[in-house]
Amino acid sequence: MRQVLEVHNLSARYGRVEVLWEVDLFVGSKEIVSLVGPNGAGKTSLLRALSGMASSSADVMSFRGKDLRGLSIEQIVDVGIAHVPEGRRLFPGLTVRDNLRLGGWRTHNQDVSRVVELFPKLGQRINQVCGTMSGGEQQMVAIGRGLMGEPDLIMIDELSMGLAPVVVEEIIDVLPDIAASGTSVLLVEQDVDAALTTAERAYVLETGRVVMSGQAGELLADPRIQQAYLGIG
Amino acid sequence: MTGFLQAVAYGLLQGGLLALVAVGFSLVWGVMNVVNLSHGAFVVLGAYVGLLVNQRLGLDPFLGMFVAAVALFALGYVVQRFVINLVVNGPIFITLLLTFGLELLLTQGMNIAFTANYQGIQTTYAGTSFAVAGVQIPVGRLLAFVLSVVVTVALVAVMNRTRVGMSIMATGMDRGAARLMGIRARHVYALTFGIAAGLAGMAGTMIGMVGTFNPASAGGFTLLSFVIAVLGGLGNMYGALAGGMLIGLVQALGGYFLSGTWVNALAFLVLILVLMFRPSGLVGKAFYSARLEV
Repeated sequence: MRQVLEVHNLSARYGRVEVLWEVDLFVGSKEIVSLVGPNGAGKTSLLRALSGMASSSADVMSFRGKDLRGLSIEQIVDVGIAHVPEGRRLFPGLTVRDNLRLGGWRTHNQDVSRVVELFPKLGQRINQVCGTMSGGEQQMVAIGRGLMGEPDLIMIDELSMGLAPVVVEEIIDVLPDIAASGTSVLLVEQDVDAALTTAERAYVLETGRVVMSGQAGELLADPRIQQAYLGIG
Repeated sequence: MTGFLQAVAYGLLQGGLLALVAVGFSLVWGVMNVVNLSHGAFVVLGAYVGLLVNQRLGLDPFLGMFVAAVALFALGYVVQRFVINLVVNGPIFITLLLTFGLELLLTQGMNIAFTANYQGIQTTYAGTSFAVAGVQIPVGRLLAFVLSVVVTVALVAVMNRTRVGMSIMATGMDRGAARLMGIRARHVYALTFGIAAGLAGMAGTMIGMVGTFNPASAGGFTLLSFVIAVLGGLGNMYGALAGGMLIGLVQALGGYFLSGTWVNALAFLVLILVLMFRPSGLVGKAFYSARLEV
């Protein structure tokens, strides 16, 4: 499988506090990869390091052969990485359509039809102001906004945060379509069961280090994962 | 009665011009959370640019204001890009201090370059007037008023309809999220500050045409901009227009009924009253409702 994102020996820090150590990670083309782990493990920090929001150092941090080290947030967006941040960070006073259009700002993409196809609910609410929508709908807008820039990789932070399980399922079901159409997905998720059922591969982070990684199915069957995250055993 | 109507007419016309003075100040505050204390100095500098091109090249102020706008836009862009951007994420006290320093620099620079004498841009028409139902309408002020309204409406259209406007609004709402869309926040900030300075330059040329000015006028324009921006609702451009008209009216009627020294106190009294009942300003909410940083 062709790798789009490749990371070797990445460390990240906030000020002087180091939060990630020696992380190795890759994401393949059209692949869904999950990052799981407890609160404070560094999942969000890893995404922030990859999108340039947190300062980091690495031996290799490249995307489709392009070195990401030292690039600004905007430059990383330019190479084709979309980051759906924690808390969604929609523009609350703007409509769904305007939020989506801003997602396509870089690529001059104003056509929201593909996003509406993925999330038909948004079609009915295209002129609604985002701040007035439910959490699930806002998450759809956030992911849709990320896709508007036609990225090769979309990184989604805490997809299920604050959402009802049925809504989470509705959104997660769309991820394989997104991957199949050429946008790889790097998913940070607290719900380990959902994360490992959707993804092809996964990385388990604990206290800033990758402690396990492999095929999602194998991890799901692993007794350590079952005991620590799924309450089984 | 005619005297009262005359004061109302004068107040509304003056208010439109004050709105043009303040709209850029409000924009910068709303988008960047920078209270630009040098805004009044930009207005006065615009007046001097208008005066210079009028005296040297014979340009009418309605053409000269475009020269002032372009010159001030360039100055504003450079100042934000290379100076204010360095501290724009810092506490508001730091940006206050920086723009205060800039104001001193600009006004003292203008004192040296142009002297402290009062000046005005002379035209054949600005001093003339015509009567409507016994009320004298000064032509220069009427033209300046129309220009102010047109420019404010155009500014709102640019903000809502264009790619640049969308990027400015998005950056004002959530700079971090805007950067994740690939929007160059530093460039957008510089652009916003440049637009504000350009509008101040235009307003300055108009002020030079309808009245007199000197470098020391800068502080008064900053103060009025502050009152009008807060009155209207920060970052809300129609709010600036409404706030400007209200302050213009209050000042004119205050001057009609009371002795002159009360006029500025009245402006602040109105500010306090409006904020007591509508804390977000005259025109509802500002266009941003949340601000987050990366």
